[in-house]
Amino acid sequence: MISEAADKAGRSAPPAHLSVGNINKRFGGVQALDGVAFEVARGEVMALVGDNGAGKSTLMKILAGAYVADEGDFSLDGNRISINSPQDATALGIQIVYQDLALCENLDVAANLSLGAEPVKPGWRFLPRFLRPIDDLLMEKKALQAIDQLEVRTLKSVRAKVGGLSGGQRQAIAIARAVGADSSVVLLDEPTAALGVVQTRQVLDVVKRLRDTDHAVVYISHNLRDIFEVADRITVLRHGANVGTWQTSQTTPDEIVVAMTAGVTTGSNHAA
Amino acid sequence: MRETRFGSFVPVLFALVAIWLWFGITEPAFLSPRNFYFLFMQSAVVGTLAVGITVVLLLGDIDLSAAATAGVCAALMAVLIVAGVPGIPAALIAMALGVVMGLCQGMLVSYVGIPSFVVTLAGLLGFQGLMLKILGIQGAVNMRDPIIRGITTVSLPPLLGWLIGSACVLIFITVILTIQRRRKAQQLELESTGALFGQILFFAVLVLGTVAMLNSYRGVPLLVILLLSLTALLGWITTSTPFGRALFAVGGNAESARRVGINVKRIRVAAFAIVGLMAAIGGIVGASRYASVSFNAFAGGPLLLEAIGAAVIGGTSLFGGRGSVWNAILGALVIGSLGNGLDLSGASAADKLMFSGAILLLAVAIDAVSRNGANQST
Ligand SMILES: Nc1ncnc2c1ncn2[C@@H]1O[C@H](COP(=O)(O)OP(=O)(O)O)[C@@H](O)[C@H]1O
Ligand SMILES: [Mg+2]
Repeated sequence: MISEAADKAGRSAPPAHLSVGNINKRFGGVQALDGVAFEVARGEVMALVGDNGAGKSTLMKILAGAYVADEGDFSLDGNRISINSPQDATALGIQIVYQDLALCENLDVAANLSLGAEPVKPGWRFLPRFLRPIDDLLMEKKALQAIDQLEVRTLKSVRAKVGGLSGGQRQAIAIARAVGADSSVVLLDEPTAALGVVQTRQVLDVVKRLRDTDHAVVYISHNLRDIFEVADRITVLRHGANVGTWQTSQTTPDEIVVAMTAGVTTGSNHAA
Repeated sequence: MRETRFGSFVPVLFALVAIWLWFGITEPAFLSPRNFYFLFMQSAVVGTLAVGITVVLLLGDIDLSAAATAGVCAALMAVLIVAGVPGIPAALIAMALGVVMGLCQGMLVSYVGIPSFVVTLAGLLGFQGLMLKILGIQGAVNMRDPIIRGITTVSLPPLLGWLIGSACVLIFITVILTIQRRRKAQQLELESTGALFGQILFFAVLVLGTVAMLNSYRGVPLLVILLLSLTALLGWITTSTPFGRALFAVGGNAESARRVGINVKRIRVAAFAIVGLMAAIGGIVGASRYASVSFNAFAGGPLLLEAIGAAVIGGTSLFGGRGSVWNAILGALVIGSLGNGLDLSGASAADKLMFSGAILLLAVAIDAVSRNGANQST
């Protein structure tokens, strides 16, 4: 019965936007990912679930270029690509909210939001880009816009240092950074882990808004209720390998829990 | 970094004013214009090195070889001049050598992955040896080149000093008011008018007071103008360009910086090149000031520790990600004032060492405590 559902997911799946296969990643003696395949389509929320240590974050970091896979095939809209650095991923339109947020606490909110892509003032052409003056005002305006989208009302100023903010505010900033950039794929690795009920709701709204604006969204969470609310499909990883992929509408939380903890032994299939 | 323009200045400035008041009361000669002139001149080499060292401290690295690098570059310049090379080309060659020495150390730190403490400790030893080799048997070379000597002997005519000082104040006012106007036009958060005028007043008093003081002795030394211009340039690079932002980001969280696409290795190499350049400039200034290049002036003495101490007393964190090159200048003045004041009051060498140790410890303790405070809020 489980395998039937998984097969259905395969047949009715929309055409993939980002699709990867045969991903292997080893850390010393640990095989973190073993021949993993994964895909996500535009206008779709793909949930990625699995126990702690299943390899979810490792897979996301590989998609974002933070880690380089030992092996793997990557394609975007059917074209083969390679992702060897964060710059590659950004250039391909892949944005990520890391599980550990990856913010610089010594910098202010606005600086964190444009870190690595600071707007510079026009002119100054005789200088290389990295030595041109940063356009502070533009940077602040962009930050305000990004923050407004998420309605982080408690945040008083985009000039406050991130080190002085609460866990929820930081999470919001990490999300704002990924959502604010030009992208077609947004990866969210446990974005609601530090959040209360209200803020979690806001993040789920952001996820839905991203889907409605034709982004390909990957959403990692341990909260199955949230997942069943926003996800169109669910991919389950276990011990660094695929268990299967399900249409949310054709499965139940119980079935997913079984897949996460015990795996599926027969006929499982990832959506191709 | 952007909270208020002078926010991070305050602790070190207080320390400086306290030291000046103390010695001003106990040693009347301390607050004389003549003494201030010598204070600035004495602090120049330490200040130059401290500004450079601040740049690598921002990354969370350290450079123990800066003084030895300065010594090697000064020695090379002196030997070249003795061999007949004119002063300016010799100085440029010394500066290029400083950059190369910094680059090499930076690459060992970045690409080979040796901790900067070890690389630059090896550099400290190796460069001291190199300096001895360059200087030859006597261990000292005299510096008679008029241009190089002029760096530390020329003072500006009083009128020119006033002109430059007033120009700085005017530029500062224009910049601050322009920024405020633009922020208003774009409906961004504004600084309060009081804070704005406070900053302008503070800057004007600082600059014009310094000019007045120096003018009542020999005029503003050329060296002060050169050093402040260099510091302003580095201050601008570290706070207002993508490169500078990357320095702070790497010092704050290197892995996060890498993940947003910052080339951490290249940033690190560049920072070491900058400290190498500043060390070479410090060496040139030292050669000019002492009218000779000797091993003890750079390598054997307290120069390195004073320079690192100046950066740290200025409030630059040894843990990376926090600090300012301007504060390094103030830190150098604190160290210079202490030494100068203790000399005037006839303190023994033992007292001076113990005093300097206590001040340094205090500065590092403040750094550690404020870091813990910041971390507890997570
Ligand atoms: N940088 C790393 N170095 C060594 N092992 C790692 C590293 N990152 C992840 N791992 C290992 O890879 C496995 C998968 O981890 P991760 O992807 O974080 O799992 P998840 O996000 O699903 O909880 C774990 O066994 C983890 O210990
Ligand atoms: Mg994880």
